[in-house]
Amino acid sequence: MYCNKLPDKPDDRKKIWDKVDNMARANSLWVTAYGTGCGAIELRPLHTSRFDMERFGIAMRPTPRQADVLIISGYLAVKTLKRVIRVYEQIQDPKYILALGSCTINGGMYYDSYNTLNILDRYLPVDVYVNGCMPRPEAIIDGFSLLMSKIKAGKADGWKHYMENLEYYRENQKKVIHNWDLPDYNW
Amino acid sequence: MDKNLQRIISESSFESDTIREDEGYLHVRVSRVHVLELLLSAKQRFDMETLQLISVVDRIEDAVFQLTWILEDSGGTSVFMISADYPRENCTVPTIGDIWPTAILFERELHEMYGIDFPGNPRQNEDFLLEDWRELPPMRRDFDTLEYSLRTYGERRKRTHTDPREYIADSIDEWDTPVPMKDFER
Repeated sequence: MYCNKLPDKPDDRKKIWDKVDNMARANSLWVTAYGTGCGAIELRPLHTSRFDMERFGIAMRPTPRQADVLIISGYLAVKTLKRVIRVYEQIQDPKYILALGSCTINGGMYYDSYNTLNILDRYLPVDVYVNGCMPRPEAIIDGFSLLMSKIKAGKADGWKHYMENLEYYRENQKKVIHNWDLPDYNW
Repeated sequence: MDKNLQRIISESSFESDTIREDEGYLHVRVSRVHVLELLLSAKQRFDMETLQLISVVDRIEDAVFQLTWILEDSGGTSVFMISADYPRENCTVPTIGDIWPTAILFERELHEMYGIDFPGNPRQNEDFLLEDWRELPPMRRDFDTLEYSLRTYGERRKRTHTDPREYIADSIDEWDTPVPMKDFER
């Protein structure tokens, strides 16, 4: 059972309230507890006592329905991309993507692999890239603070970009996922 | 090398080259017609109970796949390895899934990664790691992974010069994807 209807395009009517909303959103980021690659190992020290990301108001949630940030932590295999699309589309608006590591930027050390993507922003809208192989927890905190300032400035609109250019993203996704057995939009 | 391993070879009726022997370790190469016989006798008469792995080397220069079956005894003290060469074209290897059930999984992997056919393996056509792979099996050495990666996943634009100021000035208004994001202060 799923809904076949595509989501509505975001409208800009609430612009004044968005400033207030963005202030609240930036200071309370909930991250989907989902790791795609080796970078997920850097999130453990980040959300436990050593680096403690809860002091910035960032915390983990177990399901995408309750979260608003998705971290693509390192290389993304084609098989994983299918699951990531499901997870990303289930997150409610507004939603942000933080991409870690060289692998998401240009393939990194897997640039010639037969099964990992080289350029992530062709498949999903990335708001902040954190480079490094792997980025240390300090670098990830820096990426989060950049994401917060982008949200406060109202510029973290990757999810709007995804809605407006859904056909472009779908076309790229279907180019690498041959057995596409997902619904039109994963509610 | 312990006596048990010595006896596997000395009591077999066919020729075998010893590649390496050591304390509790024996690696032999046999002709491919004798592989099943040797595997069976190692399990039934010499207590080689566990199949650790089936590994493959793609020796494209000799046009063969070199398969190695790695066995271990029940005490975990000695390792016995059997290698045999199979021709690379339409490679067919008898399945040993009825001797060691774990081999069904190993053979599935080899079928997907190298295209080796194991007639008699009930699950070899199921996907192992890749989903709906349509090219040459990816671990074969005649499969060009770099070419495939660039053709399928593309490549980000590379720097044309190394001076960061010039580079940033050049690329500040460009983006790789045809549909650019509105701002890219990243």
